[in-house]
Amino acid sequence: MYGDAANKLIAHAARTRSLPTLPAPQTELIASIIAETRSLQSTVNTLLGPASQDPSSSIINDPGARVQLLTAYVCMRRNKRCLMAYARGRVERIAGSVWEGGKGMSSGGDGGEEGAEGGNLSPEEEDYARQYADLLAAYKGRWTDVDLTGSLEPPRDLFVDVRVLRDAGEIQTEYGTINLTKNSQFYVRQGDVERLIAQGYLQKLG
Amino acid sequence: MDIDDILAEVDRAGVPQEARDLQSLTRLWVAERVAPEMQPYPEDLMERVLDRIAKQIEAIEEEAGNMDPKTSFKLVVVQTELERFKFLVRSFLRARIAKLDAHPHYYSSGTPYTFLSASERQYLSAHQALLARHYAASFLSQFPHSLQRLDDSAGGVNMVDVPDVDKAVICRVLKDNVGVVAVEGTDVRCDMERGDVWVIRWSAIKERVMAGDLELI
Repeated sequence: MYGDAANKLIAHAARTRSLPTLPAPQTELIASIIAETRSLQSTVNTLLGPASQDPSSSIINDPGARVQLLTAYVCMRRNKRCLMAYARGRVERIAGSVWEGGKGMSSGGDGGEEGAEGGNLSPEEEDYARQYADLLAAYKGRWTDVDLTGSLEPPRDLFVDVRVLRDAGEIQTEYGTINLTKNSQFYVRQGDVERLIAQGYLQKLG
Repeated sequence: MDIDDILAEVDRAGVPQEARDLQSLTRLWVAERVAPEMQPYPEDLMERVLDRIAKQIEAIEEEAGNMDPKTSFKLVVVQTELERFKFLVRSFLRARIAKLDAHPHYYSSGTPYTFLSASERQYLSAHQALLARHYAASFLSQFPHSLQRLDDSAGGVNMVDVPDVDKAVICRVLKDNVGVVAVEGTDVRCDMERGDVWVIRWSAIKERVMAGDLELI
């Protein structure tokens, strides 16, 4: 029936929201929805075809055809809305992970986003992720002093206790160089290590 | 004008610009976080605040080499304050961006568009173009031509989502003689007195919040 595929897609979109990582896109489902929409459009065209040439044979007098037309019309719009909603949901997830600094971005240049979302992006989405990262960097560049991608938790203390979860090498602070080796613990300025906490190298201790 | 007004007048005059800026920024930040709609971008205020942040960073860098315990203690205080200011600005801007991304079409024209700062406008149009390209590449280009628009309102359903201006917000009355606020479409009339706290629809008090008669909490 019309709209079944779109319904499934929406169910997927709803489930995606509660998943920790983005699942692979439903390419087959999307393709079938597009095919359905196109076939509906051709139905509309054949229905309307004779009417446009000869107004007297207008389908307006045929209630059956009118209902068919309306159904096709409504189903196409619904399909479009469902696809938009599905794509939007995914795009928001991608944008969110770009804001969070795109964990795993550093591992391999192109398609670096794979680390963040388990390589489950369609080629178009990867394009989007890359370009959004550029856009974000451009917007952020205007607010260098504030660091827009920083923590959204209100700062409580200037210094925090952190434990090193993975070797992160040396970092420079105004109090000298700190060598972050695994399992060591430091009392450092939060601003200096914000990035590393976000990337999962360090863990903040309560 | 009674004694309270005179006292309030004196109070206002006695508070330095910096403190007032902090207060208004905090107010705007809270409003931006709870109100369903975006508010005008405070150009002058942001400029002053960013200017001061830049100066503070400079001052800290100058003092950083100083090992005198007294100055380093002062430095810690200043740095803490700086971090808080940065947080305020960051959270404020992020709240605005989040709203922008939630309802991009709504903000790209008319009055809402005038509320954006120059860089927010750039961000909006760039992001819109990016999204349009992405949707087109993903599936929309394979759709029948009549269905390819992103702001379609045919068929009785408008594709453009708008913020829910009737969302309830909690506000506090800041000034005397705010008068009676009527909620559109209902019989509710609120006689607002200074210091009162009300739960009310955003659409009913929007203008008064922007005028500074009320603050959101």
